[in-house]
Amino acid sequence: MEPILKVENLVKRYAKRNLVGAPQEFLALDSVSFALSAGTTLAIVGESGSGKSTLASCIACLETPTAGNLWFGGTNLAHATENDLRNIRPQIQLIFSDPASSLNPRWTILDIVVEPLVIQGKWSRNERMTRAFSLLERVGLSAEIAERPAAELSGGQRQRLAIARALTLEPKILILDEALSALDCSVQAQIANLLLELQSSLGMTFLFISHDFALAAHLADEIAVMSHGKIVEHGPTAKILRTPASEATRQLLAAVPQISRSPQPAAQR
Amino acid sequence: MMRYLLRRLSHALLLVFGVSILAFLFTTLAPGNYFDEMRLNPQIAPETLVALRAQYQLDRPLPLRYVYWLNSVLHGQMGFSFAYNSPVAPLLLVRAKNTLLLTITATFLAWLIALPLGIWSAERLGRFPDRLISGSTAVLLVIPDLALALCLLVLAVRTGWFPTGGMASVDYPSLSPLHKIRDLAFHMTLPVAALVLSALPLLVRHVRATVAEVLHAPFLLAAEGHGIPRGTLLIRYVLPAAANPLLSLFGFSIGALLSGSLLIEVVMSWPGLGPFLLEAILARDIYIVIGGVLFSTIFLAAGNFLADILLYWIDPRIRTESASR
Amino acid sequence: MIRRRNVRLWLLILGILHGIILCAGFFAPYDPIQQDRKNPYLPPMRVHFVDAGRHLHLRPFVYAVQLRPGSFDQYVEDTTQPRPLKFFASGDRYRLFGLFQSRFHLFGADNERIYLVGTDAFGRDQLSRLLFGGQASLLAGLLGAGLTLLIGWCIGAVAGYFGGWRDDVLMRLTELFLALPWLYLLFAIRAFLPLTVNPLHAFFLIVAVLAGVGWARPARLVRGIVLSAKERDFVRAARGFGASNFYLLRRHILPEASSVLLTQSAILIPQFVLAEMTLSFLGLGVPEPVPSWGNLLSNLQQYSVLVSYWWMYLPALAMVPFFLGYLGLASALQERSNAYKIERRSLGSLA
Repeated sequence: MEPILKVENLVKRYAKRNLVGAPQEFLALDSVSFALSAGTTLAIVGESGSGKSTLASCIACLETPTAGNLWFGGTNLAHATENDLRNIRPQIQLIFSDPASSLNPRWTILDIVVEPLVIQGKWSRNERMTRAFSLLERVGLSAEIAERPAAELSGGQRQRLAIARALTLEPKILILDEALSALDCSVQAQIANLLLELQSSLGMTFLFISHDFALAAHLADEIAVMSHGKIVEHGPTAKILRTPASEATRQLLAAVPQISRSPQPAAQR
Repeated sequence: MMRYLLRRLSHALLLVFGVSILAFLFTTLAPGNYFDEMRLNPQIAPETLVALRAQYQLDRPLPLRYVYWLNSVLHGQMGFSFAYNSPVAPLLLVRAKNTLLLTITATFLAWLIALPLGIWSAERLGRFPDRLISGSTAVLLVIPDLALALCLLVLAVRTGWFPTGGMASVDYPSLSPLHKIRDLAFHMTLPVAALVLSALPLLVRHVRATVAEVLHAPFLLAAEGHGIPRGTLLIRYVLPAAANPLLSLFGFSIGALLSGSLLIEVVMSWPGLGPFLLEAILARDIYIVIGGVLFSTIFLAAGNFLADILLYWIDPRIRTESASR
Repeated sequence: MIRRRNVRLWLLILGILHGIILCAGFFAPYDPIQQDRKNPYLPPMRVHFVDAGRHLHLRPFVYAVQLRPGSFDQYVEDTTQPRPLKFFASGDRYRLFGLFQSRFHLFGADNERIYLVGTDAFGRDQLSRLLFGGQASLLAGLLGAGLTLLIGWCIGAVAGYFGGWRDDVLMRLTELFLALPWLYLLFAIRAFLPLTVNPLHAFFLIVAVLAGVGWARPARLVRGIVLSAKERDFVRAARGFGASNFYLLRRHILPEASSVLLTQSAILIPQFVLAEMTLSFLGLGVPEPVPSWGNLLSNLQQYSVLVSYWWMYLPALAMVPFFLGYLGLASALQERSNAYKIERRSLGSLA
């Protein structure tokens, strides 16, 4: 099956401008390659600074890669014009990690959900409202609070809102950049289940970025491990969990807290 | 460290350079020149005017005049005054000295009063002493400095305690040195009082706000919890943390040394840079105006530069930030 | 919320004060330019309710004055000539808001003259001049501040949003203007424009000069806000929905800057009014005979006036209630935006 997204040797360098002296460079992505199949979930796991968020931004067309190719629906996103990108961006949506900052707190919930439709300008007001309310219901937010300002929501509710908003334009790929990391464990579980349910009913492709291996394992079909801007391991979830090949993967696995029935002294493990 | 300082220095120099161009542009592009008054006088022949203009090179193109002026600056003359018939620099220097006498005293006094007042106010935030001080500074802030200066003048006139203008009494040259100092002090009192009163409210507010913010910072509460005595806390913990914004403010104070007293000098007839500049403006003696603007800008840039150096020395965050570049 | 009420309170106070000045024609008894050469430097007339014969009158009145015999500038009340104050009296014609003609004034005395704040060298009523003078000074301050903020916003937004060379160039320019001692620059620019223009042109010249000098600080502020707002996730998200630059600026970034600009305007307006007063005081501002608070004070530069005629000093204090109002407004606005920030932060910590 043709992959829905193909990343080829993606490189991203950041340069820091100085008033005097040579600009310094920081290599965020060092020739990253992988393919994403439609309808599946790929988890990208790695420690902080491994380049995960940069990868997410590049795929969502919010940053331009320094080199490499990004194939999506026949277009190379790395070399597309701004006009093309503006048309493509709605199809790849990004959900941010901080629920407080990804939604404009002054706006009402309804305004936030409806915003993508307003920007695209293709629907009438009634159509927008209908779609907004159906999406809110879909993610489990009741319609009564629609007129409230977003600042009044809890973290879990905000992420639901962010997901609802991301779904308005019926994207093909949904990127979740540490979207569950800022939530409590129980809330994480709820949202994770919501995502699984949406995927099975809408047939969406997810790119799940996290430093939390346990969550990734729960949600993903395939896992790619990143370290220092490179993908060091890539394969089906079960295989990675059972036989981790690289050192980075092993360290990440070891960091997952295990709850066992009988208390074990810390020295024995 | 040197690289950082050199960078700031080159920055400041470029700024002064840019300001000189701007000032030159503004003043010379304006309609009218010094000899317009003379044109009204029927006794002066038009040819004389043309000759005068040629003599002062007012008929040359703008960039050329700028180059001449720059040359003059490098020779320490800063252009030529039409009215006084002398190079500008010595005239400015004399007046600048008088202004500085006033402003340095006023700045010193203002900071001397504002720092303890602000700290004391911040320590008792919300309680009666703080409210009293905040109230008085609010009152002072609200009175325009023009009104303040005039008020003090009226006071002087009514009570006769202080001279109402000028820098020296008529018999100044014949006084003994001690009496000379006393005479100067008497003449200085009103303008200095006006300057201090107008600068005080803002200073006190800023000190209070900055220190209050530091006083409620977690690291200070932790230090208090360790039992460190108040005096040590103040000097070794609070002041360095409050240094950053306060030093910038101090830089501004230094920078305003030449330009902040213009109005007060005019009202109180103090022979400083202010009235001199005003007179030159009205007479269209452009090189004095340009020179004066440049002088004050140099002070402003120097004030900022001084603040930069002090900040670099005191605030370790700036050192590490510049080192990592 | 308490904070919103504070802001509204100050706005109300300022509104009343500005309203009085706006309707100066109604509140002032006479035309500010009209001279009364027979009564130069008249001290303020005292308002009485009890006359010389110890009779109480319900309607307040003043006494006519005449020169004290043997002096040329001392006046005494002439108790044989009471002048009752009539309210809503008909007086000189004036234009309300520059549109409607009217003859009604708050108070007057038919054909007699009542000088509640005294007169100046030409016998012009100081109360009327004070009220009309406020129009010139306040308008200059308001227009100047508005223009400055507009210029500052445009430059700051362009520099902050687009970045790159535009940002560099504009920021260097801003630093340049910030480095200039603004009072000096103000005078220099103003004085090098034609000194003898008609009052209307002079007025607009002053406003233009004020704006031209003061835009740098707001520009830098706006740039900072735009820079940080640009990187906010909800702005990036909107870009992800295909939003154009214009949409982002209009819907997300401008509202962030507007609260700061509002606070800035409350601080800038009194500063600009003061600048106009200073200019006029030194003869570089609004020219005679049009009154402005500054040029009303300019004859205080004469020693004799300063010493003998204390009522000429009052325009200096006219600014005080306005300053107070603007200061209060600025503090209330600042408090409100701080409170809002704290609310956001505390809500964000709820998971």
